[in-house]
Amino acid sequence: MENILSIKNLSVSLSGKRGIVPILHNISLEVEQGHILGIVGESGSGKSMTAFAINQLLPGGRKSIVDGSISFCGEDLTEKTEKEMTKFRGKEIAMIFQEPMTCLNPVFTIGRQMKDVIMTHQKKSSKEAEKQAEEMLEKVHIRNPNRVLSCYPYELSGGMRQRVMIAIALSCSPKLLIADEPTTALDVTIQAQIIFLIKEACKATGTGVIFISHDLGVVSQLCDTIAVMYSGQIVEVGRAADVLAHPQHPYTKALLASVPSFTPREDGNDTLSAIPGMVPDPLEVITGCRFAPRCSYAMDICHKKVPPLQIFADGYSLHCHLQKEVEN
Amino acid sequence: MIISPKKIIGILEQNTLTLIGTIMVVFIIFIGVAAPLICPYDPNLMNIPARLQAPSLAHFFGTDEMGSDVFTRVIYGARISITVGLSIVVIAAGIGCFFGSISGYAGGKIDRIIMAATDMVLSFPSMVLALALTAAMGPGLFNTMLAVCIVRIPLYVRLMRGQVLALKEMQYVRAARTFGESPAKIVLRHIIPNCLTPLLVQMTLGIGDAILIASSMSFIGLGAQPPTPEWGAMIATARIYAIDQWWYAAFPGLFILITVMGFNLLGDGIRDILDPRSKD
Repeated sequence: MENILSIKNLSVSLSGKRGIVPILHNISLEVEQGHILGIVGESGSGKSMTAFAINQLLPGGRKSIVDGSISFCGEDLTEKTEKEMTKFRGKEIAMIFQEPMTCLNPVFTIGRQMKDVIMTHQKKSSKEAEKQAEEMLEKVHIRNPNRVLSCYPYELSGGMRQRVMIAIALSCSPKLLIADEPTTALDVTIQAQIIFLIKEACKATGTGVIFISHDLGVVSQLCDTIAVMYSGQIVEVGRAADVLAHPQHPYTKALLASVPSFTPREDGNDTLSAIPGMVPDPLEVITGCRFAPRCSYAMDICHKKVPPLQIFADGYSLHCHLQKEVEN
Repeated sequence: MIISPKKIIGILEQNTLTLIGTIMVVFIIFIGVAAPLICPYDPNLMNIPARLQAPSLAHFFGTDEMGSDVFTRVIYGARISITVGLSIVVIAAGIGCFFGSISGYAGGKIDRIIMAATDMVLSFPSMVLALALTAAMGPGLFNTMLAVCIVRIPLYVRLMRGQVLALKEMQYVRAARTFGESPAKIVLRHIIPNCLTPLLVQMTLGIGDAILIASSMSFIGLGAQPPTPEWGAMIATARIYAIDQWWYAAFPGLFILITVMGFNLLGDGIRDILDPRSKD
């Protein structure tokens, strides 16, 4: 299948009050048409920053230092001006967020806000836009689209608002949808519906999806490919089933081990395992592997050399010294 | 925006003070507009033999030292005060909001320059600065308005800047950017409408304030000049007659009170009316 997005060796540094802060180190990712890529990792691992880098909406604006390339349908987004980017945002690359409660403007009706976005990118009359808005709401399984169009955001529940957000995001049939923890603020039953909705939309229209989450359960249900991020680096990428069933990187293993489970473990150890230590501060200088200080398998070389990228079959790749040792 | 007549009536029924404020403001605006129909005399008609008469059926509020009808002059005064108050607030808010939103949205150097200018104006007591400005430009109603306007602008710059700074970080503003909306559209569609409630409240309260300052300026002789039926100017002339001819100073004063209080009460009510969450 065709790659919609391919990020190659992307490094991003923000220049802030504390000087230049490197937040993403040498990231490479690919999203195929109609595929869902999950990015997982702890808070502060750079998941959302990756999303904002694609959109060119990094917090420092144009002051951020971006190295590497973000190729979207053959065009390098890092070379676009702000004005050119507004043509991509919303139309080609849409985004939904974690907090559906605050994502909609409180003083306008849902219909007005949907029409606004539709008319920004498509030459449509107000009537046509309204009709499309209604169709979009139907597509995200809102029962009473006509009534919802005339509602104000405060009249809708969190799940409904997230549906509206998805409807807005999909209204210009984007090629890429970035979902930044869209289910985190919702309860479990609604989560499942939203996940189903994203999957359905993606398969029906061939939209590529980047699904950012720290919830491994959600990611395992939804994603085709998983990229595990740690402290601004991608440590492991592979097919969802491979990564979850046979994690190679010690961080992925530790992450999977710290998922709470309902059934008692076979070894009788019921304590919830956690990864010792904290995600390092972006300013902290770490010479070797960034996970080495917390890694229980760490060897001497891990503290000295950045682990090389190892590419295997089925799009599987890994950043770890350990695998090499085993192979040797 | 979310204003339905039903909701306004509901709020007026629940809140007596808002109702009183609204009645006062409507009353003042009505007499201002309908002045020629209500008044039996010309506001500047002199009738020396009938000077300084006490209130009677012929002259409801008595007459002044020139024999003019105080009732007529007070009613015409409403016209002047409302016009002065409204234009000061509209112009000051317009200019203030423009610079305030630029300051908040752009940040950086532009923000620092605008805020430095604002702080400079704010560091003077507003009355003293208005006085100095009018004195420099020369007395007169128009110059007074201009001076009060300049003094009032920083208030709106501050208000707008704070609002924009807070709203800029709101998720829906960030979401709008990811949907590809231009900065100008984001300000017009997302930021300004959400600043409107505090702005309208501030403006309504500001009308009362502006009328009070403009009247004060006329009172000390810098604003409207005597033949003009301006309330402050009338009280200034009436000052020397205040002990024996109480009506001359009392009625213009009463109308200043009604107007300023009306706008202040209405300002508080507008907050409730514009809140999308208050009930229909």
